[in-house]
Amino acid sequence: MSEKNPLPVGPRTPVLLLLVVASLVLLPLVLPSATLATEILIFALAALACNLLLGYTGLLSFGQGIFFGVGAYGAALLMIHLKWGLFAALLGAAVFGALLALLVGALAIRRKGIYFVMLTLAFSQMAYFLAYTLSGWTGGDNGLLDVPRPNIEVFGHVLVDLADPRHFYAFVALLFLLIFAFALRVIRSPFGSTLLAIRENETRAAAIGYDTRHFKILVFMLSGAITGIAGALYAMLLHFAPLSNIDLMMSENILIMTIIGGTGSLFGSLLGAGAIVVLGDVLSELWPRWLMLLGLILILVVVFMRGGLWGGLAELGKRLRPGRTLSTKTKETL
Amino acid sequence: MLELYLFQLLNGLGLGMIYFLIAVGLTIIFGLLNFVNFAHGAFFLLGAYLCYTAVALTGNFWLALLIAPLVVAALAWAVERLLIKRIYHLPHTFQILVTLGIALIIQEASVLIWGPVGKNIAVPPELRGVVILGDFIYPYYRLFLIGFAALIGLALWLLLERTRFGALVRAGSESTETVSLLGTNIFRLFSLTFALGVGLAGVAGVLFAPLRGAQPFVGPEILGIAFVVVVIGGMGSFGGALVGGLLVGVVQSMMTSLWPQGASLMIYGAMAAVILVRPYGLFGRA
Repeated sequence: MSEKNPLPVGPRTPVLLLLVVASLVLLPLVLPSATLATEILIFALAALACNLLLGYTGLLSFGQGIFFGVGAYGAALLMIHLKWGLFAALLGAAVFGALLALLVGALAIRRKGIYFVMLTLAFSQMAYFLAYTLSGWTGGDNGLLDVPRPNIEVFGHVLVDLADPRHFYAFVALLFLLIFAFALRVIRSPFGSTLLAIRENETRAAAIGYDTRHFKILVFMLSGAITGIAGALYAMLLHFAPLSNIDLMMSENILIMTIIGGTGSLFGSLLGAGAIVVLGDVLSELWPRWLMLLGLILILVVVFMRGGLWGGLAELGKRLRPGRTLSTKTKETL
Repeated sequence: MLELYLFQLLNGLGLGMIYFLIAVGLTIIFGLLNFVNFAHGAFFLLGAYLCYTAVALTGNFWLALLIAPLVVAALAWAVERLLIKRIYHLPHTFQILVTLGIALIIQEASVLIWGPVGKNIAVPPELRGVVILGDFIYPYYRLFLIGFAALIGLALWLLLERTRFGALVRAGSESTETVSLLGTNIFRLFSLTFALGVGLAGVAGVLFAPLRGAQPFVGPEILGIAFVVVVIGGMGSFGGALVGGLLVGVVQSMMTSLWPQGASLMIYGAMAAVILVRPYGLFGRA
């Protein structure tokens, strides 16, 4: 986000990746179902993509639902009408997400601050009503039914049968690891440092000679592509692409997961998505109004705990091991 | 055919006046406090539900029209003192997120109190029936709505333009620092203005209730429309909120029978276009 939020400091890349692998292995073991674990990873992807915008570039986008919904509809339509396979459909969703993000991003970044937010909000609403209207394609209010979940096939031979929820989880987990590693690589590259420079002081970044608009559009497209993949995976998971995929509430949910997990921490996005999906799953049975609690947590995190869950854990870790201080060498930006 | 259009136009004006009341509250808060209130739609919702309860308890719509907005304003005042005043100095991003949290809490609390199914509120007995002018028939309540909202609008204009409080609000919109240096308790002014702006959303909620009832999940939709109106009219502009509100109300009403989603597409498209082409709105100052 910005201002008093210090530059994100995180563990070294191998440590962080090891942490992700450990989480991916542990998730299905501690959770009651592989489907729930898969849902967490899907939303963690969406939150991670949102984090690239909010946490690293300082752009608060209410348009993430557009890319999520377009990825879901796009992949579903490609699979239903053109009989595309798993990887082709996911790639298609990424391309759709990136193109929509190019359109939305290129227009929205012409304005800053509150007007930027309002633009993403307007586009989000337009996408929703467009999806509602184009019911021939999207199924309108009923959603798009009978979305397939293709198997991994090589020359017509089924290599991995993804109908089994555990297999599908393993596939999504692998994909998550790849995308996480890629996002981390991007963030810790000169490109990522430039994004942070834009977040901290865009005028200064521009004065140094960076074409900040160019960087912002690129990060938007990256975010859109990842969110599109998340949407496609979600449609495959549910065998269904509901209209709610593309509504404003979806954008808000993705934002809330990102913030509660920790803005400016990719691993935080996994924590945020995990916490909220599990909380929703456990509490929605016991107490359907659990969103109230979510609202309260959101306020508390924004006002008191800017680092979110990740920041809280990092703080705890520091207190437990007072001897170890961060040397400048390990002070990489996450 | 002509009667139908006139009917839709009048409906649109009524709806537009409600949108005006919501948007003008939002715009005053933004103008003076430079604060983005994403909980505005939720306070509107609360106004409608409190109207339901007040009517259920007293059986009197007029009492509800007086009490419900006051309760909404009092609640807003308390929320401002407890929470919002601590986040004025934060960037808009944070304000949006905190008020989004407040909106979620209000919405879910409303469902908790009043249940997930909407409540119907009867039109007060004095305003039942219709006006008949030749072939043209129009419900009394909708006419009352236009007149009453106009009256509130006028009172608000007088308050802002002709009283000391209004002068302070207008001066504060120019420079809070100067007003503060001249010896005004700026925090009291902020609290009052926030309560006033949110109270207007409460009034709109009460007036809306006999038309569509109190629906638990209407908050985000209303908030979206309020932002459309505020953006089209220009952030911080009183006249802009009026014209923008009427414009959006009439467009929506005219298109309800033809293509309601098309109306939404149009108004959000217009909002995006205005921000891109003329970000200070049609009536705002550059």
